[in-house]
Amino acid sequence: MQSQTNPGTTADPSSRSTEFVPVQGGGETTSAANLLITAYVVMWALLLGFVFVSWRRQGRVETRISELEKALTASGSKASARD
Amino acid sequence: MTRPTDRLFYALLAATAASFVYLICYVFLVTPVAQLQAGGLAQKIFYFHVPSAYAMYLCGGVCCVASGLYLYSPSDARDAVARAGAECAVLFGSMMLTSGPLWAKKAWGVYWTWDPQLTTLLLSVLVYVSIVVLRTFAGNGEAERKFASALGVLGTVNLPVIHYSVLKWGGNHPIVVTRSGGGGLHHAAMTHALLTGFLAMTLLAGLLLWSRARLALSVSRVEHLEEQAIATGLIDY
Repeated sequence: MQSQTNPGTTADPSSRSTEFVPVQGGGETTSAANLLITAYVVMWALLLGFVFVSWRRQGRVETRISELEKALTASGSKASARD
Repeated sequence: MTRPTDRLFYALLAATAASFVYLICYVFLVTPVAQLQAGGLAQKIFYFHVPSAYAMYLCGGVCCVASGLYLYSPSDARDAVARAGAECAVLFGSMMLTSGPLWAKKAWGVYWTWDPQLTTLLLSVLVYVSIVVLRTFAGNGEAERKFASALGVLGTVNLPVIHYSVLKWGGNHPIVVTRSGGGGLHHAAMTHALLTGFLAMTLLAGLLLWSRARLALSVSRVEHLEEQAIATGLIDY
């Protein structure tokens, strides 16, 4: 079971912990409910931010594709009309 | 997208949403609070934290395979999947690296310690961050794609090191996801919640990989169209 902060003193893998043990010097002053809520809020914010950025970028890229395709089609029609 | 693909995408979206609603309800309403050494109420972070780590491995694996295939025979689709894999690995890695310290504060008393598993995990996430930064700021040329693919393959080599680091060098991470351990899984409902977390994160990873690969393919299409437009003199270089 490891309980030290110094990684150099936790080198025995066979004595790996089967429980959660406080690290020496660590202070337990924060409420578990606050930590739980913060973790869930941060995780969902990261995920929703990622989805929102992807969605906006996809929209911009699709608009650009349709603009370019229209321009290229119009240019192709003009060229064939000239020929 | 064609209509059958659309339907499949929305089915995956619905399954992902349903699995997350079920997971959140189950974790908060059914799963018992863990022992104080595991963080008590804060241990409920575990049911998202560990599946996030697994999803990062999954996306890293996808990035590695697609990068390897791209190096073997380059194509836009393989590059798009490799890029999507790296981007999703960064997302899941960030979720893991933000939720873990908050749980550790309660279970270990500190937000961070240079535990071998934490250090190797951080290194792995930084490798995927470097791929994303490279692809975002260094352009989309052949050389950049190949360099990012090589990083994608080499970066994934670090993933098994994360797992074996704790077996080789020990550390603060306890054995909780095995039958011989028991730090977090003393109750059947805890195991069920964890397995549901793995399922939900697998579906989410699939959904995000799909949408980001589609975005990367669309970006490649824009570049091809712009090249055509420049060649025909429609737009200036």
